[in-house]
Parts: sequence; C-alpha cells; structure tokens
Amino acid sequence: MTSLRWVGVIAHKDLRIEFRAGGRVVAMIALAVLACFLFAFALDRSQVSAQHVAASLTWLTVLFAATAGAGRAFDTEEEDGAFRHLLLTPIPRHAIFLGKTAANLVLIWMVTLLTFIALTTFLGLRDPGSLTHHGAIFLPGTIGLAATGTFFGLVSRHSSLGDTILPALTFPLLVPVIFFGATASARVFMERPWPEISGSVRLLWAFAVGFTAVGSVLFRYVAEE
Amino acid sequence: METRNARLAGLILTTAGVAMILFVHWMVVFWVPTEAVQGIVQRIFYVHVPAAWTTFLAFGIVALASAAYLWLEDERADSAAVAAAEGGLIFGAIMLTSGPLWGRIAWGTYWTWEPRLTLTLLLWFTYLGYFLIRGSVADPRKGKRFAAVVAIVGSLNIPLIHVSVSWFRSLHPQAVVIKPEGPTLHPDMLVTLLTSLAGFTMLFLGLFFLRYSIELLSRRPRSGEMQRASEVLT
Amino acid sequence: MKLEARELVCDYGATRAVDSVDLAAAGGSILAVFGPNGAGKTTLLRMLSGERKPDRGAVRLDGRPVSGSDPAWRSRVGLISHRTGLYRKLTVGENLAFFATLHGVAGQGAAAARALDGVGAGELEGKAVEQLSRGQRQRVALARSLVHDPDIVFLDEPFTGLDPGGAEALEAMLRACREAGKIVVLVTHDLRRGVELADRVAVLRRGRKVLDGSASEHGAQDLLRFFTAGGGAGGEGAAA
Repeated sequence: MTSLRWVGVIAHKDLRIEFRAGGRVVAMIALAVLACFLFAFALDRSQVSAQHVAASLTWLTVLFAATAGAGRAFDTEEEDGAFRHLLLTPIPRHAIFLGKTAANLVLIWMVTLLTFIALTTFLGLRDPGSLTHHGAIFLPGTIGLAATGTFFGLVSRHSSLGDTILPALTFPLLVPVIFFGATASARVFMERPWPEISGSVRLLWAFAVGFTAVGSVLFRYVAEE
Repeated sequence: METRNARLAGLILTTAGVAMILFVHWMVVFWVPTEAVQGIVQRIFYVHVPAAWTTFLAFGIVALASAAYLWLEDERADSAAVAAAEGGLIFGAIMLTSGPLWGRIAWGTYWTWEPRLTLTLLLWFTYLGYFLIRGSVADPRKGKRFAAVVAIVGSLNIPLIHVSVSWFRSLHPQAVVIKPEGPTLHPDMLVTLLTSLAGFTMLFLGLFFLRYSIELLSRRPRSGEMQRASEVLT
Repeated sequence: MKLEARELVCDYGATRAVDSVDLAAAGGSILAVFGPNGAGKTTLLRMLSGERKPDRGAVRLDGRPVSGSDPAWRSRVGLISHRTGLYRKLTVGENLAFFATLHGVAGQGAAAARALDGVGAGELEGKAVEQLSRGQRQRVALARSLVHDPDIVFLDEPFTGLDPGGAEALEAMLRACREAGKIVVLVTHDLRRGVELADRVAVLRRGRKVLDGSASEHGAQDLLRFFTAGGGAGGEGAAA
C-alpha cells in the first residue's frame, strides 16, 4: 500500500514537470499527428480501403511516438543529477519504475487518443466501430508500451548510441503487442463481435502485466551502479 | 571452471566438431539418399536444423548465465553468457541464411512466416541488441547488467512471441507447406541428421569454451603496479 | 558512530579504479579525501555511500555491513555533489517537499522550510529552480540533502562552481554537522578549502591511498607533495 503511494508521488512529480515544460508531450503529439497526416498522403485510397489499414497505422504511429518519448523519459532525472538522489531515498526501486511508467502511460494515452482522432479524420473513416472496444484494446497495449519504453529508456540513456539503440532493444519484444493490438483493433474497425477480439486482448494483458512485473523486479539492476 | 581446463575442453571439442561436420558433409553429398518429394535441396536441412538447434541451445545458456550473473555478480557467469551469445549470433546467422535458401526452392519464396524461422529472427535481433548495449556503455559493469537484462527479458518473452507468430501464420495462407522433416524419415537420413546435430553441438561447445577462457583471461584486472609498468613501456 | 572501509576494490573492466583502500571516519568529525582528477575519489565515495557495490572489501557502520540496497541505510545518508540534483521545472519548495516525502519526513512542508532557513535561502521557496543563480541552486541543493536530517553526509567535489557566499554556507553547515555528531566524508581536489575544514585527511593517487593522517599534522603544502608523482613514492610507508 505504501509502495502505491510512492508510485503516485513519483508519477505526480513527473507529470507536473512534463506539463510545465511541455516539450516532450508536444513533440510526441506532433510526431504522431504529422505521421497520420503523411499516411493520408502516402495511401492510394482508390486501391486500399481506410478501414483495412487504420488499425495498423494507429498502432505503428503510437509505437513510434511512444518510443521517441521513452528515449527522453529520464532527461529530467539526469540533467542535474537528480536521479542519483532519487536512488538514495529509501523508497523501493520498483516504485520508481512504476511511477515513471505511470507518468509515461498518461502521455501515451494522450498520443493514442490524438492519433486515433487524427487518423479517422484524415482517412475519412465515418464509422470506426465500438469506442469501448477500442479502449479495451488500447488500455493493455499502451501499458505494455509504457513499461517497455520506461525500462529500456533508462538503459538507452547510458548507451553512447543514445535513442538510436532503443528500437533495437524494444521492437523485437513488442512483436506481440503490435500483432495482437493491430489485429484486434482491425476487427473493431470491421465491426466484428467482441468474442473474436477478446482472445487478443487477454494476450495483451498478459504482456502488460508480465512486463510490468518483470520490469519491477529487474529495474534495480539497470538503475543501480 | 579453470581457464586452462576450459581451453583444453574447447580445443578438443572444436577439433572433434570440425571433423564431424566435415564427415557430415561427405555423408550429405555422397551417402544419404535424396528425398523423393523435394529432391536435392532437402540436403540443406542437415545444416539448417542443427544450426537452429544450436542457436536455441546458445540462447538458453545466455539466459541462464545472465540470470546467474545478476544474482551472483560472478564474472564467470557473464563470461559464459557472452561466449554463448557470440556462438548464438553466428549459428543463428547460418540458420537464417540456410532457411530461406531452402525455402526459395521448396516453397518458392525466400521468406515465409514459419513460426520457428520468425522466432529465430527475433532471437537473433535480441542477440544483436545484447551486443549493441554491452559495447556502448562506458561502465563495463553496467554494460554487463544491461546485456543480461536484455537476454532475460528476451527469453521470458519467447512464449508470447511464439503465440503471436503461430496466430499470425494462421492468418496468412502459405505458398506450399512441406515440413522439412517429412513424416517418414529414411533411417540413413536420421543417421546423417543425428551426426550433424552432434557435430554442430560439439563445435558450438568447443567455440564456447575457447571464447569463455579468452574472456576470463581478458578480464583479469591489472593492478596499479602493472598498469604503471605498461604505461612506462608504451 | 564509526564508518569503516576495509580493502575496498573497484574495477572498471580491466582498470582498477580503487585499489585496496582502508578508511575510517568517526561521528563528529570531518574526513577529507584528496586526490588529483582520476584518482578514484568519486568511485571511493560511491562505494562508501553504498551507491556502488565494491568488487571486493566492505564498508561497515559500527561493525555492521553497509549496503545501498538497504532502505534503512539510505535514509541515514545525505549526499551533496557539484551537480545540484534538483528538478529545474519544479519550485524550490516542491523539490524539497518531494525529497522529504520520499524520505518519509513527517510534515514535509515544514521540514522543507526549516531546511531552507538553515542555509539562509528561506525566501527562495516559491521560485522555480531554473530561475535561480548557480549559487542559489547550490544552497537549495544543500538544504535538500539535509532535509531528512541524515547521520552521515557525503560530499562529492562540493566546492566546484560554488560562489564565495555558497562556500561559506557550506562550510558553516559542515561545522554544524560536526557539532551534531554526524559523520562527514568529503572528496575533493580543492586542497586549500578541504584542509581548513577537515579533522582527518587522506590522499588517493591512482586508486591507492598514499596518505592517511590527522589534519593538524599535514598542511596543504605537505599534502600537495603526495599529489604529484614524485612525492610519496614510498606509498603506504610515507603515511604517518
């Protein structure tokens, strides 16, 4: 229970900084919305129906924006060396990981929402299917993205390759998220019934819960010296 | 294990492995009967399957040794992980090149989303990440830990990836589906395959032990005195 | 209260950064560890504070081994370094309250105000850190490091970038820590300032301790000899 309180304190601190500074959120959103804009140009809609590709495009856009954001998730911790002091407080390491993941998740939700709106608008999708079903798919999917991004965001901070190494580390792991997320969303766009979707959602939850748990356990090995 | 023992084991196994693989090539070219349906191209399978097996064996060792390293912080565990990962990268490359070559003729296409092939490709990328992160971190201890974490997370993700690629495949019609290991394997083919499996395993373990002993030797910290001496000399 | 390090070793790959160093620091005294850049001072400090696990050797507090993974140990440690360790976008008060909360300090707002007054920066509470001057930030950092009233204070090159006023505040604060019976360990290459403050001094060169003694016996000039390659070539033998 106390652990949960630390998670809240860290997430609150992170979000306060993010919204005051604004740079990272705005950059993530700009990347996502502009990518949707370009997709609308890149697609020959006389050949491909928007309904068939909307799900893949949404997931890939969210993936790229989340990855770009994750590479900068620890910037505020490191710019003046605050992370060293954070690690010297008595709170458990996993609380730091979960708190930063939660803050990241809020940003990814904003990106996802705007991506969804932008894509359906730009592609002229009049009926995107059940919004509740879309939400039920994106919830576990984005948790998985936030957890992997936060975890490997810290790892890539210490690499001389910087942000460029991040996709090389996370993309092979994220195959299940992208696959189950995109196929499930595609079925919602096609207005398929929930039983055809629920299997994928269960596996998305498996990834989200699994990686959050594994990340919590392993975080101390990447955070400590 | 003492580095000297590891080196000796490495030399013996490498030599035996190389000899056996040479012998397997003789078997493949001159001895084993040609498979009826696929014809001569099926012979790639005697390289492909053992390479795949070795890749998975290597990744198993990397994951276990990495977990042991995080747990015990023993340099030997990390040395074993690196040694196995390098082997895995090489044998994985063999598997990933021999597979499509065979697929081009048997299936008519270089790449198919065959679950094991896809899984191996992803594991291979995980190995790549393993070395990328390891080599790009200034503090060697951090590099080792990060690499270990990448290996552990990658191996824990295998079941989910496996489910994904199996489902994914079921969504896509296959060009021609012929399993490389047909239902009836001629006894001579089985003998050739088993010999090849033994040869590849020995070669991998031999290289693993050699690499492991080199890695351990290169890590012996030079004391301040020796460093000063080397500074004077250079 | 006594902090003891025995045969500390730290390797960075094949390079030995700290080579078998013994140190002791008692409560109510200031230990200063000097050394030229790259001597292994910061690495040594990180091992003493539990941030980095030594490759060999151990740090003990009153005979009990110290570990950075032990929350009880971390709550007793305060760290001051040449980097402020503050969040620029937060106000001074928010920064202090954040760290006070994580340290489990009751009434974190009041504790933050008290800590700020202690370093003479009470009026800065509502300002964002990014609006402060370098000297002001250092004072706030000082307050942050003491907000949970630590028993052991570690200082990593604290004088770097400090203005004269800030240096005075730091020195006053360290003296107050000594009065209060805290253990203070300082690593720096700034001989002059360090010697004035310290009760005990040690010199580190190329990862090895080449001198360990009381500050009254060794003046700055004396210590300087041990910095350069020629002096103190006798290693441990030259240590008093």
